[in-house]
Formats: sequence, C-alpha cells, structure tokens
Amino acid sequence: MSTRLWLGIALAVLLVLPLVLPVFFLVLAIEIAIVALFATSFNLLMGYGGMVSFGHAAYFALGAYTAALLVKKAGVPMLLALPVAPVVAGLAALGFGYFIVRLTHTYFAMLSLAFGQIVYTIIFKWTPLTGGDNGLLNVWPPAFLRSQIAYYYFTLVVVGLSLLALHAIVSSPFGYALRAIRENPRRARYIGVNVRRHQLYAFALSGVFSGIAGGIFAFYNGSVFPDFAYFNKSFEPLVVVLLGGMQSFLGPLAGAFGFKVLEWLISKWAPIYWPLFLGAVVIAVIVVLPRGFVGLAEGWRWRARPATGK
Amino acid sequence: MYMRRTSAGTWIVVLIVLLGVAVGPTIAAAQGKPIRIGEINSYSGVATVYTFPYKEGLALATKEINDAGGVLGRPLEFVHRDDKLKPDEAVKAARELVLQEKVDFLAGCITSAVGLAISAYAKEAKHLYFATHCQTSRLTWDDGHKYVAHTTNNVNQYVRVAARKAATLPVKKWAHISPDYEYGHNMWEEFSTYLKQIKPDVQFVQQNWPKLGETDHSSYITALLQSGAEGVFSSVWGSQHINFLKQARPFGLFDKMRLVAPSVGNPDELDPLGKEAPLGAITTGFNPYDENMQKWHPKLADWSKKYVEWAKARGMKDTQPKLGASWGYASAYIIAEAIKRAKSTDPDKVIGVLTEGFDMEFPWGKVTMRGCDQQAIPPQWIGVVKLGKDGKPTMGDVEEIHGKDIVRSCDEVAKLRAAAAAKQQK
Amino acid sequence: MDTITGLFPWITNGPLLAVQVLSGLSVGMFLFLVSVGMSLIFGVTRIVNLAHGSFYMVGAYLMVSLMEVLPDRPWAFWLALLVAPLGVAALGAVIEMTLLRLIYHRDPLMQLIMTFGLLLVIGTLVLLVWGPDNKSVSRPDILAGSVKVFGQPFPSYYLLVLGLAPATAIALWLVFYRTRWGMLIRAATVDREMLGALGVNVAALYTQVFAFGSWLAGFGGALAAPTVAVALGMDADVLTTAFVVVVVGGLGSFAGSFISALLVGELQSFGILVFPAISIVLIFALMAVVLIVRPWGLLGRPEE
Repeated sequence: MSTRLWLGIALAVLLVLPLVLPVFFLVLAIEIAIVALFATSFNLLMGYGGMVSFGHAAYFALGAYTAALLVKKAGVPMLLALPVAPVVAGLAALGFGYFIVRLTHTYFAMLSLAFGQIVYTIIFKWTPLTGGDNGLLNVWPPAFLRSQIAYYYFTLVVVGLSLLALHAIVSSPFGYALRAIRENPRRARYIGVNVRRHQLYAFALSGVFSGIAGGIFAFYNGSVFPDFAYFNKSFEPLVVVLLGGMQSFLGPLAGAFGFKVLEWLISKWAPIYWPLFLGAVVIAVIVVLPRGFVGLAEGWRWRARPATGK
Repeated sequence: MYMRRTSAGTWIVVLIVLLGVAVGPTIAAAQGKPIRIGEINSYSGVATVYTFPYKEGLALATKEINDAGGVLGRPLEFVHRDDKLKPDEAVKAARELVLQEKVDFLAGCITSAVGLAISAYAKEAKHLYFATHCQTSRLTWDDGHKYVAHTTNNVNQYVRVAARKAATLPVKKWAHISPDYEYGHNMWEEFSTYLKQIKPDVQFVQQNWPKLGETDHSSYITALLQSGAEGVFSSVWGSQHINFLKQARPFGLFDKMRLVAPSVGNPDELDPLGKEAPLGAITTGFNPYDENMQKWHPKLADWSKKYVEWAKARGMKDTQPKLGASWGYASAYIIAEAIKRAKSTDPDKVIGVLTEGFDMEFPWGKVTMRGCDQQAIPPQWIGVVKLGKDGKPTMGDVEEIHGKDIVRSCDEVAKLRAAAAAKQQK
Repeated sequence: MDTITGLFPWITNGPLLAVQVLSGLSVGMFLFLVSVGMSLIFGVTRIVNLAHGSFYMVGAYLMVSLMEVLPDRPWAFWLALLVAPLGVAALGAVIEMTLLRLIYHRDPLMQLIMTFGLLLVIGTLVLLVWGPDNKSVSRPDILAGSVKVFGQPFPSYYLLVLGLAPATAIALWLVFYRTRWGMLIRAATVDREMLGALGVNVAALYTQVFAFGSWLAGFGGALAAPTVAVALGMDADVLTTAFVVVVVGGLGSFAGSFISALLVGELQSFGILVFPAISIVLIFALMAVVLIVRPWGLLGRPEE
C-alpha cells in the first residue's frame, strides 16, 4: 500500500483543516501534534532503543522553560529563543544520560525518574528565576503567530520537520544499530557497535526533540509551570506510545490522537469522576488490544507476535 | 524483529474516530439559551474535600436563581472541568470551555497557581473570569486586571484578622510552619508583616517550610520544641494539617506554645481530629451553628438547614455546611448579580458593573464587591477551638470583623499593581 | 529563601538527637512494611505494581470504617488492625485473578500501565465509597500518649511500629526461609518456568504472592492510619516513596528493602533539618546517588 499516497492525503487534509473545522479542533490538533512529537522522540528511545525513561518530562520542561525565560527575561524574540530550547534540553539529556545509560531496565527508568525530579525541584524552588510554583505567565508568541490558525500552521511546520528528522534518524545506520542493540546488546557489541555511545546519543537526541516539543508548547499554552517536569507528565508519552503501538514510527502519532481525543471526551462527559473512566479505558485497551490502536487495524491481517523481545 | 509500517487500516480507523468526534459535539451544542459559566476546579485528589461542598453550594444557589426566573430570563448553568491541581490543565480546560463549549464566562480555582494561570489566559482571550475558591491576594492585587474578579475573600483578610488577635496574646516570640509554596509564603509574609506592624516588639525565632503534602512532620515538631517560641503560626491546611496536628500532640507541642492556625477552625479538619483537636488554638473559619453567629445572622440557621437537605438529596456523605459551601453559594449569586446589573452577558458591560462595585446580603452578612480591584469583601470570623455541647471540637467564642475594615485599601492596591508592573518591564 | 531552622545549636543535644533517630526509625519501619510487599510482588511476578499505594490507602480507609462500626472498646483497634489487611488481601487476590492473569505473557511495560489504570480506578472508587472528606483513626488509649526517652517525649504509638515492623520482618524471613511455601516463592524468583515444569501450580502461587503483598500494603496502611490523615492522595504519596525504597534496596531483595527503608526513614528525618531547601527531592537525590554507585540498588541482583 502506498504510504506516500496516504501521507500526502493526510497532509492535504491537515492543511485544509482550518477552513473546515471550528477553532477548538485546531487547538486540539496543535496539542495532538505536540504530544505526538514528544511521544515519537520518546519512542526513539523506547521502541527503537529498548530503553524506557520515566523522567523524560524533564527535557520537555527544560525546552519549555528555556524558550520562555529567553523571551520573558532576556527579551529574545520567540523565533530565536525556540532553537535554543532543544539545545539546552539535549545537553541536559547528554549530561544525565551519561549516568543513566549505564543502567538497565527498571533501574534505568528509576534513575531517569530521579533526575527528572531533580529538574522539577530546581524549577520549583528557584523562584526568582523560574517563578516557582506559580510558573511563568504571559508567554505569548509574536503578534503574527498569536492567532490559533497561525500557530496551528506553525506547529505543523515545526512538528512536521522534526518528525522528518526523527524518521531520518531511525532509518539511518545509527537507527539500525540502535535496533540491533535493543534486540541483543551483546551481539551488537561483538559486531563492533559501541553500545554505550549509541545509547547515549539516542538519549540525547530524544532529549533534543522533547525540548522542541516543550518549546512549542510553552508559546501555545502561554505559560510554563514546574508540573511540566513532574513524573506524571513523563508517563504521558509512555502511555501514548503503548496505546498507539511502539512497533511503528507513526504509532505514537496514532496514540497521541487517540489519547488526546479520549482525554477530551472523558473530561467533557465525566468531569468529576473521570479517573475511573480513563483507568477503565486504559485497562480495557491493554487487555483487548495487544498491539495498541495501530494493532486495531492490523490485528486481522497479521498474527500476533510478542510485543517486544523483553 | 521488524518494524512495521502503519497500514491503511489504521488510517481508516483514525478517520472514523475523527468523524465521530466531529459530529458528536455538534449535536450536543444545539442549545443556546442558558447563560453558561465554565467552571474549572480540582475535582480529583486531595482538594475534593473542599471542592465537593463548594460545588454543592454552587448548585444550590444555581437552582434557587433558576427557580426565581434565572438571569435576564435565561437559566444559569455551570459547566465543570477538573484541573487535576495543575495550572496547565486549567488553561487547557479554559481554552476548551471558551472555544468549544462557548461559555459566556469563566469561573473557579482552588489553588493559587491555577487561579493566576486562568487569569492570565482570560486577559489574553478577553474573557471575564470570576475566581472563586482560591485565595491568593495576587489575583486581584499585584497581578490584577479588568478581566478577573474574585468572589470570595483573599488571604490578606483572614490573616490580618488572625494577626490582630495574635497581637492581643502575651506572646513575643513567634515561629511558624507553612507549606513551601506560593500560598504558604503569601500567608507567612502577610501575617508576619502585619503583626510586626501592630506589635513591633515581636520576634520571629524560627521558620519551618515543610513541602506541600508532607506526611511526616516529626523533625519540624522537634525543631519547634527547641525554638524557644511561645506561639506558632501554622498555615498548613487540609490533610497535611491533620497529619501535623496528630503527630504534634503526643510531643506536647501545644502545651508549650499557642497555636494560631487559620484553617483548623473548619469542620473538615476538626471533625476527623476529634479528641486530637488542638483546643485553644486561634482560628478563622466558618461555624454556622455558633450561638453568636446565629444571633447576629438570623437567616443563617435556615440556610444551614436548607443546605443540609440539599446535600442529603444529592448523595453527599458529609452534609454539613462548610466554608466552601458558603463560597460556592456566594459565587453563583455574585456572578448572577453582576450579569443582572449589566443587563447583558457582554464582558465589557459586566466589567463596568464590577468596577462600580455593589453590595449583596447573604445569610451570613453583607458582602461588598469592591470596584477598584473587583475583589469581594465578606465578613470575617475569628474564634478559638473548643469542645462544643456535643463533646465534639468546634470553633467557639466567635468574633466578627468585616473585611472592609482590615484589608488593604484601594490606594495600597494601586501601589502593589504598579510595583508588579514595574517588575514585569525589566 | 529564608530557611533558618535553629538546628545547629541543638545538634549536640543528645536526647533530642536520640528522639530524632527513633522518629526516623519509625518512619523507616512504616516504609519497610509498605515496600516489602511491592518488592515481593516484583520478585516473583516481575510486575511493578503501581496500585500498591492504592492498597495501602484502602487498608487505611477500611481501618476507618471498621473503627466506626465496632464498639468503642479497647480491643476494637486490634481487631480492626487484624481485619483491615485481610480485606485488602482479598481485593488483591480478586484483581490478580481477573485482570493481571490476562497479561502475564505481555510486555512488562503493558503490565505497568495496567497497574496504573488500576491506580486510577481504585482511587476513584475510594472517593465514591467513602466520599471526599478527610478521615481519621484515633490511637488506642494505651498508646495515645508519650513516653520519656532520655527525658524527651516520644509518641508511644511509634513504639508499636518499632516493635511490629521488625517482628514482621523476622516473620517474613521465617516464612521465606523455613517454610515450603517460602521456598517455592524463592524458587519462583529465580526461575518460574522451571518451577512450573517441576509441577508446581505457578498460577496459584502468583495469586497467593499478590494477595500476600497486598496484605502487607494494607497492614501498612491500617497501622499508619492513626498517625496520618486518611485522605485521598495517600496512594500517590506512599507509592513514590515505596518505589524509591524498593529500587534503592534492590528489586526483589528482602534485606535490601529493610536497609533501604531505614536509610530513607532517617534521611527524611534528618535530611529535612540538614537540607531543608531540597526536602522535596531528598529521596530522589538519594536514589540517584545510590544508582550511580551501585547500578542494581544496594543489594539487588544483576538482571538477565
């Protein structure tokens, strides 16, 4: 089936959306796009690298805060501040990652969680700089991007380019080496792949793209808060990837779409007891859909194979 | 192991969901008559102990208003969203309420960060926001603007009343324990500055900042015991306060020092504490069953009964009228009144009414909506924790001061706003 | 930010220091009771149970209900303390048999997310059943006051904890190392498939282990109920701390959980005084330091 054709159609639809749908759906689409980017960058690490991080929200938050601080405190225009966000997030990911990739499995996840909480604490406590638990408010894009429609196109461009970049990364020799490491680190080492270095770079790259997602989110939201770095936020890309299916590149996108729509509908129909419904849906999806939303369509054509190697 | 491409099937599924989602709300949004207020608050987790009674107070008032003909002949309707105690969820909800649900006004908040975040969004979207349950003074003062109004009292009011009472005690050395976030800092700052103002010879010997939601306070208790303080100010609240007080009791902390704790007079803390309640603590709160209260406000007893019946009918586990219930009740009426006086739901017209200010009578006294800052000023009560006639702890020896006699004046507010604006510029 | 706590003048104050150490020990003992259940479940079933905190919370709430229902007699507390954890164990068993069994063959991450779903559901069910209000359990009269430790008051109730927790630890050790069932559990931690091949009903074993782990969580909650507010949000609070304790100690290591719990308890106690500014991140900082130095926790076994 021609993926290119489908992608082309999807792109056309996305471009035309503002003419057809009310503003709210554009806003929802922006959120889906940002979460999709965050989740795809997370999937670089998890689906392709086999490493699960519980502290990825830290890089998202660092991206958001970097951009917001540059604009608010240093008066840098948004378009110049935004590229700095992934740099800071990437450097932090590189720094923390150095220690984290030495571990495996649950310990990897927990150390990443610990660093994530440390980032949260720094943001929360450094009130003179970050505004503390009140966050930074009135972080708006420049006038020409302030309308929802304009920011929607802007998000499409940034997220689209980022996804292309991520796709290039996973399709490159580096990406294949990463998959080899995920499957069998020992064998990968035997064939000459520097396992630690590949994992570290994957971690850093993942941080970079999470930072971009955080940066765009800051200006969409108009404010940044320490919660961006808290561990609940770290579970978001995890749930999205698992629900969407970590086996494919676009799985996280499907997951982001499904999750955000689900979240919106549940908050609308059950504003008071929503955790009950969300929890029930999550349980149901896991029990009923072994391959996530992506698997929903593919389940009949392919026989189920175990989700991942481990 | 291979990575699979997304098949066409997935996209079909995706499009079907998209369709269903687009169609659904369009069907739902086919009403236009009621005046809709988007209300954002924390309806999951620790805050529910406050927000559930608050929501019932809101609902009771809404029913009364609608039974009496509604507002401008239209029914009033609150559309609720849960902010999950997170400011960015609140902003997301605000956006959804304004863009998709097309509400006429925004309302709600319990945590200060949420209130300030929604306020910033309201200013940008030029939508009027009525802050309800959160109490930071920054909402209408330092960070105030015309698109935000506050329907209940703020920290400044009850802390100053508490400080005034604290100044009458034979206590010179004060320590405090406050949760380490904006509210806690705000509380201590307001209390200590005002106390120092009215009693210059007080000393502050120790500061304790447990994290918000701390469960084990033993180190803070030990520190307090060593501080040499004669009085302790506690702005810890809710379940954390219950933790602190239960843990402090066997250490004999309150035999050594007087406790001034604004939140402890409320039933949501006193009822669970039971015989472990800190008797003799000075507190602000709301006790509609107090003899003095009922004497000064004859309509209060009926209102309390009405609320209890309402709560029972709605399936609430605890049906007593709490402070939050009165806040919800007042908020609905104040919002309705503002719209009524403006004779329109146009935000600018309603803001015009708010800037003129107005008074309203409630079963517990007069509430003034002050024009210069769009801040509501209700009466304030202060009392002491005592055992009631039924042997349960309650707030007794209640005294009443009206907030307008104690809160910062319009001039002071203008100065605060100017100072905050100057800080923004740099 | 102003953080004068007046600590330093009294750090040489022996009696106060002793009380502080004891407080830290009590906290540690509580943590041990809660965490060991999580470690046990992980060791055998390889599931990281995010709903463990929820079981703790249900244990506390059951304690509240039992104390409301039972007559106001001295023995009521002890009976409630016995019964509440059993209720939680039953809940755990039911959940294991209906939901968890369906996903044992799945990716551990899926199982984790499943337990996260459980956390959401159980939390809301507690809200629906008990309502949003804070609840409390009074300490039994004989333990309501304080005793003098080196002349300083120390809450008597904590003595119960200081006694019960090591007793439980010893009892657990006896179960694991001196009973057949314990031997099966240890075997399952090492090699489940082999155990199944040897004819042991591994499915039943899993249920029993999960129920037992839940019992421990419920017992922790019931025991903690008189010292804290029983309120929503208890589950998340205790979960994070328990998780840290378990990981720092080494997943699946019983002794590791014990040492780690004591460490975390004392850190909470003293850390607040020595590093007040970062009290919200102390345990995570500890975890970071431990994991950097010992990648599998203090006493954990290298995986695979």
